[in-house]
Formats: sequence, C-alpha cells, structure tokens
Amino acid sequence: MLLANYFQTGWRNLLKNKLFSLINIVGLAIGLAACALILMFVKHETSYDNFWQNADKIHRSHVTFSIPGRDPMHATSAPGPLIHALKKDFPEVEYATRIGGWGPTINHNGQVFVEQIKLVDADFAKMFSVDVLAGDLELALSDNSSIVLNESLAKKYFGDSNPLGQVLSLDFNFFKKDFQVGAVIADTPRNSQLDLPALILIDESAWEEQNWMFHGWFSVNAQLYFQTQQASDLDSINRQFDDFANRNFPKMPIGGDDAKASDFIKLSAMNIQDLHLNAIGFGEMRPQGSKTTVITFSAIAMLILLIACINFMNLSTAHAANRAKEVSLRKVLGATRSNLITQFLGESVLMTLISVLLAFVMVELALPFYNETLNQELVVSYDPSTIATLLGLAISVGVLSGLYPAFILSGFRPATVLKANKSAETGASLRLRAALVIFQFAVSIGLFIATSVVYSQMQYAKQMDAGFNKDNMLVVNRVSREEASNKRELLLKEIAKNPQVTAITYSNETPGNTNENNTMMRTPEMAEEDALLMGQRAVGYGFFKAYEINLIAGRTYDKNRADVSPTDEQLRAGEKFPGSIVINESALRRFGFKDAQSALGKTLITGRGDPEENLSVDLTIIGVVDDVHFNSLHATIRPEVYPLSADFGNSISVRFTGSPEQLVKDVETLWRQEIPGVPFSYSFVEDNIAELYQSEQGEATMFAAFSALAILVASLGLFGLASFTADRRTKEIGVRKVMGAGVFDIVKMLMWQFSKPVMVASLIAWPVAFYFMSDWLEAFVYRIDTSLIIAMCGLAALFALCIAWVTVASNSIRVARANPIKALRYE
Amino acid sequence: MITIKNLSKRFTTEEVETTALNNINFDIKQGEFVAIMGPSGCGKSTLLNTLGMLDSPSEGHYLFNSEDVAGYSESQLASIRKKNIGFIFQSFNLIDELNVEENVELALLYHNISKSERRQRVAEVLEKVGISHRAKHMPSQLSGGQQQRVAVARAVVGKQRLILADEPTGNLDSEHGREVMEMLQQLNKEGTTIIMVTHSPEHAEYADRVINLFDGEVVVQDLRAVS
Ligand SMILES: Nc1ncnc2c1ncn2[C@@H]1O[C@H](COP(=O)(O)OP(=O)(O)OP(=O)(O)O)[C@@H](O)[C@H]1O
Ligand SMILES: [Mg+2]
Repeated sequence: MLLANYFQTGWRNLLKNKLFSLINIVGLAIGLAACALILMFVKHETSYDNFWQNADKIHRSHVTFSIPGRDPMHATSAPGPLIHALKKDFPEVEYATRIGGWGPTINHNGQVFVEQIKLVDADFAKMFSVDVLAGDLELALSDNSSIVLNESLAKKYFGDSNPLGQVLSLDFNFFKKDFQVGAVIADTPRNSQLDLPALILIDESAWEEQNWMFHGWFSVNAQLYFQTQQASDLDSINRQFDDFANRNFPKMPIGGDDAKASDFIKLSAMNIQDLHLNAIGFGEMRPQGSKTTVITFSAIAMLILLIACINFMNLSTAHAANRAKEVSLRKVLGATRSNLITQFLGESVLMTLISVLLAFVMVELALPFYNETLNQELVVSYDPSTIATLLGLAISVGVLSGLYPAFILSGFRPATVLKANKSAETGASLRLRAALVIFQFAVSIGLFIATSVVYSQMQYAKQMDAGFNKDNMLVVNRVSREEASNKRELLLKEIAKNPQVTAITYSNETPGNTNENNTMMRTPEMAEEDALLMGQRAVGYGFFKAYEINLIAGRTYDKNRADVSPTDEQLRAGEKFPGSIVINESALRRFGFKDAQSALGKTLITGRGDPEENLSVDLTIIGVVDDVHFNSLHATIRPEVYPLSADFGNSISVRFTGSPEQLVKDVETLWRQEIPGVPFSYSFVEDNIAELYQSEQGEATMFAAFSALAILVASLGLFGLASFTADRRTKEIGVRKVMGAGVFDIVKMLMWQFSKPVMVASLIAWPVAFYFMSDWLEAFVYRIDTSLIIAMCGLAALFALCIAWVTVASNSIRVARANPIKALRYE
Repeated sequence: MITIKNLSKRFTTEEVETTALNNINFDIKQGEFVAIMGPSGCGKSTLLNTLGMLDSPSEGHYLFNSEDVAGYSESQLASIRKKNIGFIFQSFNLIDELNVEENVELALLYHNISKSERRQRVAEVLEKVGISHRAKHMPSQLSGGQQQRVAVARAVVGKQRLILADEPTGNLDSEHGREVMEMLQQLNKEGTTIIMVTHSPEHAEYADRVINLFDGEVVVQDLRAVS
C-alpha cells in the first residue's frame, strides 16, 4: 500500500514538473531504445553457429600462403587432399567433411536455373545437426546420385508435391548427371556462416578432369570442417599443424631445396562458433561480421545508457535545488530520511518504467530502418525472459540513477534551507554535476570525431580515383558456361551493334569480384626459385580501353598482332613462340625495371600446367598500365599481370550510354534467344564495387545514427540543466541587472559558464579520439590523412560549443530579459 | 533633480486591475534626504522602483535631471540608471556565490572600469563602511547588519548621486538599523541624494522630509506633519 502511495506521489510530481519529467523520460527512453537495438545486433552477431549440437567440437581449417614480397594470402578453404591427410594423421579427428560449392544449371520443366550446390563428404550428416524435414540425410549422402534440398528449393522445384524420389538434372559444365532427391532439410538459419541450399556427395572421380578442384595441394576450393573427440583437441592440433604440413604438402616450386612447406604455408583451425567474427580470408559462404563493429557498438550502447543515466542524476539533483523547501518542510512535518529516500527512488523507478514502455515503442518503430541499414532480420522477442531482463535493467537504472539524488535530497538540513532560503546544495554535489557534464560532453565530442572520421574515410573511398571508370558498365556473367562460351564471339558482335554500347570486352575477372588468382613469374635473369608471385587477371581484347585504364607505355592487345601465347598442348608439342603480356606499374617496380619504357620488349617467364610437367612460356611485355583498384581500399594494390585470354572469359563487360534498363532488356532478349540453356545473369560494376563497402557503409550509418542519439541525449540533459541553472540564478541575474548588466552581459555570462565544461571535455576527448581513430584508419591501405583527425577535433569542439550555446541561449535569454524586480520581489 | 507629475502605475493581472500609484506629484531636489512612509501595500516599493527606473509608469511624467524618461525604452532607462542610481534592498540581495569584495565590485563591473581601479575603489568603500576586514568573507558568514553594510557599499561604490533604499533597516535589529541610518546620513552630508522607504518613524527622522503614501496617493509631504 505504501508502494502505491509512493507511486501516486511520484506520478503527481511527474505532472508537476513537466519539462523535467519529459527530458528525463524521453532521454532515458532514447538511451534504452538505442541500447536495446544494439544489444539485439550484438546478440545476433555473437550467436553464429552455436546452435549445432557439437558446435564446440566442430572446427574449420584455414590456410595462409606467405610468399616473400607479397601480402600473405588467407583462405578459409583448404586444399582438396588435406581431408585425407587430416583423418589419417590425427586420431582425435572423428569426422571431417569438405564443403565446396558449384553453380550448375538445372533444367526443370522447360525452365533453366542456376543453383548453388554444396559438395560435401559423407561425414557431413554425422557432424551437422541440420533439421531433416523429410527423407534420410545420412542415406542421401551415402550415394553419389542423391541430392538433398533445403525447404525453399524443394518448394521452388516441386511445389506442394512430395519432392522425395524426384529427379533433378544438373549440368556441371564438365559433366551432366541426374540426381534423386533423398532428403529435405530446413533452410540454414541466418546466424550461420554456412549456407546449405542443396547438398550432394563429393565424388572425386567425377572431377578427375578438373583435378585442381579436389586434388590440388596448392588450390583451395572447398572449406574443410572436422569434428574432434574433445573440444580441447583443437589446440593440440593447431600446435602440430606445422609438422603436419611438412609431412604432407608436396615440395613448393619456390625457396630452394631446403625450403619446408611450413615456411610458406600456415595451416590453422578455428572453432565454428568463432568463424563469423574472427576468421580471416576469402572464400566464406556468407558475409562475415566484424568484431570491431560488435565491440564498438557495445561500447556505444554502454555510453548512451550512461549518458542517459547521468542526465537522470544531474537533472534530479539540480531539480533538488528547487525542491529543497518541499523536502525541508516534509522533514519538519516528521518524514524520516528513509521515507524520503524511498519516495525519491519510487519516483525515479516510475520514470524508468515509463521510459521502458516508450523505449519498446521506439525500438519497434526503428527496427525496419535498422534492419535495412544493417542488412539484418532482427526481431524483438517478447518472451518472459527478455521482458524480465529489461524490467530488471530498468529498475536497476532507476535505482542507480535515483539513488544519488535521493540521498542528496533527503540529506538537506531543514534549518539551513528554511533560514538561508537557498538551494543548500553542497559544493561537492555541484562539482560532481560539473564532472558528469564534462564526461557527457567528452563522450559526445569523441563520438562526433569518430563519426566524422569514419564518414570522411567512406567519402574518400567513394571518390577516390580507382584507376578505371566504374560508371555505366554492365557485366554479363556466365559467359564461360559451355553453351554460352560457344556463342561468345556472336554475343560480342551483336551487343556491340546496340547503339547504346560504346565499348565492349570480355575477361575472367571484373572489378568488385575478389577472386584471388596468382601466378609465378620471373625474368630470364632470375633463378627459377626466385620467381615472383604476381596477381593475375586474364583479360580479353579491348579490356583496357573499355575500362578506361590509363596506358603508361607501349600498347594493349591487338587482334591483328601475334599476342596470343601458346596453349599447353602447343607447349607439350614443343612449340615455343612468345606471347604478349601487359603488366601494371607495381609489377614493373617488383621486377625491378627502371621505367615503363625500358620494360617494353623485355621477357617474362611463367610456368604452365601441372608443376610436375615443367612447362613454361615466354611472354614479351608490350604495355604497362596504371595501378588499378579492383578491390576495396582495405587491400593493397598488388603487382599484377594481365595475360591475354583470347578465347575464354567469365564475363562480358559493356560500356554504355543512356538507359541501363533498356540495355539490360535488349541484351537479355539476345541472350535468351541465343543461349536458352543458361539463365541470364548480369550486374553493374558500380554496384559490385558498392557491395564491397556495403556492410561498412551500413555500419557507418548506424554508427553515425547512434552517435547522433548519444549527442541528442546529452544535449537534452544539458538543456534541462541550463534551464534549472538559469532558474536557480534568477535572483543573482536580477541583482546584476539592477547593477547595470544588460541582457547581453547576462547571456554572455551563462554561455561562458556552459562553455567551460565543453572546453575541458574537448581536452579530454581529443587525445582519446585521436588514438582510436588513427588506429581504425590503419586498417585501410588507402586512407585519409591522420591530420584530418585533428581538423575533426576542432570541428567537434566547435560543434559541441554550438550545442551548448543553443541549449543555453534560449534559457538565458528568457531569464536575462525578465524584469529584475520580479526576481527580487519574490525573494 | 526629480520631478513627478500626475504619475500613475497600474498592474493588470488576469482578473484584477490594481492601481498601485494614483496621480502622484512631487519634487525632490539635489542633495535631499527623503523618507517615504505609509501602510503596507500602499505603493511605496512601486514608487521606488519607478523612480529607480526598474519599472515604467503607466501614465504621467517623470523628469529626471529635467529629462522626461516616462516613455523611455528599457535599455535607455538602463543606461541612465547605471550612471545615476544606486540601490539598497531590505533583503540585501547579495549574491551568495560571491564574496564581499566581489559583491561590491559587481556595481562597477558593467561600467567599463579597469580592474585595478575597480579594486581600489572597492577597497576604499569597504573601508568607509567599516567592513574591509571581512572583504574575503562570503555573505552567509556575515550578520544581517554587516550584510546591509556591504549592500550600502555596493550602492555607493559607483559614485551615483542618487541612492534608493527600500526598507534598508527592515531586516535589522535596532542597533544595526541605527548603524545603517548613520551611514546613510553621512553619505547625504557628502552630497548624495537619498530616497528611502521605511516603516520606522524613528528612522524617518534622519530624513529632511517625509512623503506619506496612502492607497497610492500622496497624503502629507512634510516631516513636521508627522511629528
Ligand atoms: N507586479 C505586480 N503585479 C500586480 N500587482 C502588483 C505588482 N507589484 C505590486 N502590486 C500591487 O501594487 C500594490 C502596491 O504594492 P507595493 O509593493 O508597492 O506596496 P508597498 O507599499 O511596498 O508594501 P510593503 O510595505 O508591504 O512593502 C499592492 O497592492 C500590490 O499587490
Ligand atoms: Mg515594499
């Protein structure tokens, strides 16, 4: 009953002090809402792959190739034969499976599709506790003519009819085969690094011709998962990996006779639950998360909540000044200190409860935008445990932030307050409040700096000259599929006829696709084992012109000249005429040529076919081009060579003018007519590039939004505080006016009073922000100058001052303009 | 120095209109010491505020040094007030957060006077009111009489020729009251014009002349009419 009474008094007090209550409740609600949104994200990001029954015992092996003179190359996939060696050498490995991917075409009921099919080993069924909706997974993965579909694919192909036993015909380009649906599994949950739309058993014999797929020790095409008897076995396996590599890898073609495999190849394994945030390397099935983002977001959540709590405390203690009389009178009338503490705590808990409700509304309203920006599908779960947690959080926030004001308020001495007729606030309480305000501003300024640095870097990345023209470039994919490959020349000719098209080319790689393709190359003067690893992007005729890549010296490939190098067959037959090669500026430096002119006509030697065959080909440098950023700015520009791929290419790139939609329509019509067996697939270079930055961009946006919220909450608090301060100083201001102070003098005085904490806060925030942000920038190879952070520091301080002034000005002017006799009269 | 002609002041609140001053006429000459008396609520403070240019009259003329300031804007009034008028209040109105010295200095702060000159003048005036040994004390550490002496110091440090005092002894016991009255008398002898509101006939005797207000109107304007 007493509790109800406290709530009632609390409620009346809320209504009586509308501004105070509003600022407190809204500020706290924003803080809680932001906090909840961030925690939902963090919870999701940290929950990856922890739902597998044996999650703690399932690990994935990674490979890092460290070639001298090159950035190490990290792969999340493993060489195909590694699985057999692993099972043989480590008895603690109970099961192991590769998960590779292929995109065969599926001809079904007269329609063609391309699907991502996962190629797995039989152990998969024993390791992964996937939800089997129909059929028998283990059985299906025990024979090489069964296929397992996930729910979505089963629906797509067979609708409501029973998919089990139905047949799908898959065209792998190298071979065609019919598969019988043996099981249907649930779609892989979002919080998994695995993506398993369809599974078939790896049949190594079917891939004999493409021996790099499962037989090459230096080609990584499938991920390798293994399950150990004990979770702790991971550490001991990781320790033995160097010896294991030296035992099993064949001799590398570099490093001389004494070289060991472990000098160049590092194997490592990581638990499946850690993959999402910690794995490094290319070849993931799904986008990874970022540990930094998770940590940064968690920190921001804490900061926002802290700022909101500080507001609560500051406003309550400041408000206390105005309630001093009430408190003293209550005491005179017999209230004990604990009565008062309970009353004030009741008030603050009531406020936090209202804030929680408001926060829920805010979260629900913000969630769609939040999900879209972060590319997530988070939902609020209203299960009892969540609600209990939130209520617990709210009550502890209420109690914690109410405790201090409660003690201050209840500690007033009635005699002092009633006699001196003043706030009775102690110097300590004023100083604490000043310190808390400084803290809030320091955080706000720090966040402002961080946000603007992140934003500037994004802007920089967007606007940086990548070395090629990414606009108005259509990429037509799947050109290397057999049916399309046969029609490539025709496609090129027909598309070029389109009046919208200004240039056309074909190539294996296009900007924005992050495939790693490398080759060893040397000059005739270099010893064979000193050959250098070069990035390699095979291009077709007209590539450099179509992409508008600047030619520094020489020429590019020309159909009318003998640029084509001998094929493997020709080499085997003993033919040895030279081909042509175009290299980039970094490669020029790497080979040690004096300048572009002098490199022209020089020979580069590179191996071909299987290493055992010892085939090699001479290539004459015909052109040197500018360094070009094909990948995101996180990556360095590597030394690259651009061999001519005269009759092979994955994609056709089309430079165009005018409407992209119209062009896509025209090209698609042509494709369907000429290549009905392969579904049309296209993209725009601009979008592919943007995709490299997509998650970063989304996170930057959210980071900015949360920073803005933190600053908003802090400003709200400052506004309330300024209003209290101005009120508290009414009498003083009246006296000053009678003494001749003008409105401007008064406003200036109050502004200055609130400028001081901003300046102190700046001094605290600057070094901290500088440290963290220069560190963050380190991750980008191409980045804005660190001196820009200093400029941002200045800007942030100015911005904070503006906020302080705006919030203070309105209150100051109000008080400063009031007729002084009013203030003095009612003393 | 001051001429009031047909001066009225009305307060209009939501429900009622109060006529605080009704058609008042009088003159005050340079160097005079005038007391204003009358029952509570008769308009004494209102009159003093109007004379002090903290408030404007609703009607009539207010000639200050032969300048009619009745229609002046707030900032015009403020600049005349700054140069000519010092104030003493019943409740002292010292600023709690500033010490004695700083409180007195406040009256010079907005007058474009150099820091060193301010210091010097504050020291002089604190000496004069006999409180220099307390210069660094906070107001809360002083007795009421001492606080009022600080307030007097603040009122005269600007060397204004007119001092308006609203019940300067209202919050003081008789001994401290007398101290303050003697101080005002001394200032008057040195040439300062003083207008003081008081409820105490005893303190009114220090004045050359008494203006009696009743319900917003001047009833008697002579000291002898009271005694
Ligand atoms: N700001 C105001 N708004 C409305 N009425 C006011 C205002 N100021 C004064 N009054 C009214 O004007 C009248 C005169 O008030 P004033 O303060 O001048 O009286 P006083 O003679 O100084 O009284 P006391 O001796 O108690 O100080 C009173 O009736 C008062 O209620
Ligand atoms: Mg009065």
